[in-house]
Amino acid sequence: MDNETFYRAKYDGSKKFHQHDIQTANATGFGAAADDYMERGIDLNEQLIKNKPATFFFRMNSDAMIGAGIHIGDTLIVDRSIKPTNGKVIVAIMEGELLVRRLQKNINSVTLISENKKFRDIPLSVFDDRTNVWGVVTYVIHTP
Amino acid sequence: MKNFLPKQNSPFRGLGGMKAIVDCNSFYCSCERLFRPDLANKPVVVLSNNDGCIISRSDEAKKLGVQMAGPYFKAKPLIEKYGVTTFSSNYHLYGDLSWRVMETLRTLVGKENVEVYSVDESFLDLHHIPSNELITASKEMKNIVEQWTGIKVSIGVAPTKVLSKVANRLSKKNKIETDCVMVLDDKEKINDALRRTSVEDIWGVGFQYATKLRQLRINTAFDLKQMSTAWAHRHLGGVVGVRLIKELNGEPAIEMEDELINKKMIATTRMFGQPVTKIKDIKEAIATYTSRAAEKLRRQNSAAKTIGVFIVPKQESHTTHFRHGPSVGTYIHLPVATSITNELIKPAVQLVDRLFEEGNIYKKAGVMLSNIVPDTSIQGNLFLPEIKNNQRLLMNMIDNVNFSMRDDVLKFAASGTTRDWKMRQELRSKRYTTRWNELFEIK
Repeated sequence: MDNETFYRAKYDGSKKFHQHDIQTANATGFGAAADDYMERGIDLNEQLIKNKPATFFFRMNSDAMIGAGIHIGDTLIVDRSIKPTNGKVIVAIMEGELLVRRLQKNINSVTLISENKKFRDIPLSVFDDRTNVWGVVTYVIHTP
Repeated sequence: MKNFLPKQNSPFRGLGGMKAIVDCNSFYCSCERLFRPDLANKPVVVLSNNDGCIISRSDEAKKLGVQMAGPYFKAKPLIEKYGVTTFSSNYHLYGDLSWRVMETLRTLVGKENVEVYSVDESFLDLHHIPSNELITASKEMKNIVEQWTGIKVSIGVAPTKVLSKVANRLSKKNKIETDCVMVLDDKEKINDALRRTSVEDIWGVGFQYATKLRQLRINTAFDLKQMSTAWAHRHLGGVVGVRLIKELNGEPAIEMEDELINKKMIATTRMFGQPVTKIKDIKEAIATYTSRAAEKLRRQNSAAKTIGVFIVPKQESHTTHFRHGPSVGTYIHLPVATSITNELIKPAVQLVDRLFEEGNIYKKAGVMLSNIVPDTSIQGNLFLPEIKNNQRLLMNMIDNVNFSMRDDVLKFAASGTTRDWKMRQELRSKRYTTRWNELFEIK
């Protein structure tokens, strides 16, 4: 079966709101004019979570990806429904362990790249999207 | 991706089309494995509340001979010998992953075509999928669920719910051969599947009926299918039996149900972490269960008129068998239906006074709320004295705080503070998907 097809399903359930969620100024006098311009507030879920049933959070606990701006203590948002293409930062499954690394896919080789010179890159002779990839990191939440 | 959504809300929904049952494979074990890839292909078991029984086994554990629903202590030698990884149940994790699986299915086939049947099973109405595409569509659905949620499922497809269950069971039995998908779309396939299904493995046939059928030399589902509906009416529990025969013959008799939103009865029951002998401890436990049940009641905007309490004493026994005695229970009708926790705790605790016998050792207790009606005390009711409304507002506040802070930070003093009777969960994994401070730490 064509592996490509699994990644294209559309999920629109992350944004659940209706008109009553819009705040009103609740003013009896002049404030009412502002109500005409009142919008739904910014919701982080809308921006950071595209596919809720497929999205998971992780806590970074190493400096292996410091070059990619991922620090110890950061929260990673991981979407399992995104295709792990070349260059994406992924949660990889390596010998029963979960690792965050950048995926480098060439014509005949796959390497898990660490963005920290202290760590060695991991070349893989056998690689399969379904057994070696847990999910794709879509956002990093970092406290400056 | 192929679009599985119906073009429009079809008037033929539930009529003549195919139905599917999607069932998660060893669900609790699969949930535990999601964050433990090192356990793939290794034997895993999950224990019930209180670490009493085995309630989920991976295929590898089944092969080792670990019994389902068997007491943990009995299987322990086997578990230790083969190094079976054991978990206490982590319902926070399972509940979240269950929602993800069901939500994925709703996205795929439309929420009006999904009937959540249990924590790990859903019926799907597939009337809108052309018959020649059922296999490909089912396989793709299976793959997408696994891709998105990490949970492996099996799918059985057939003209009726009972037959879809038959298909599902066979697909699970031969995972490699079937790729966890079986579609029974013609008479030959149906008959073949029924011949391979014993009567006790048919959905809805319990132990007693199975024994009865075996005595009548009705051994397989295929044998049962040949029986007349009149016979079933007489010997298989009336209407229920007739439905079963019809369903086995490919004639839908159990329709898709709309999701059960408001429960008609709410129960909270638990085993104690250790045997309890003091009335004070039982009262605390009952008060805690009552709070939980009342919270569930308010969540569906209902109130209850009847409250029941039961406690289960340990039976005097000289064997090491895992058994508890008959439960003792009683109930009272309240003057008015209520959802206010303290108004429910008071009668519940009084009921404990009536049931408790000094000298007994208790293992388990439970609270049941029934006679459930819509809650009229929700704010805005002009016909109630205001004082009552304040109570409801207080409940809202408690629920909000507990919902956002979790772990019941606000509770009634009657629930106690020490909780000596609390459940044992020694081997529970982290709540990776529901708690910020328990996220998976990755390298």
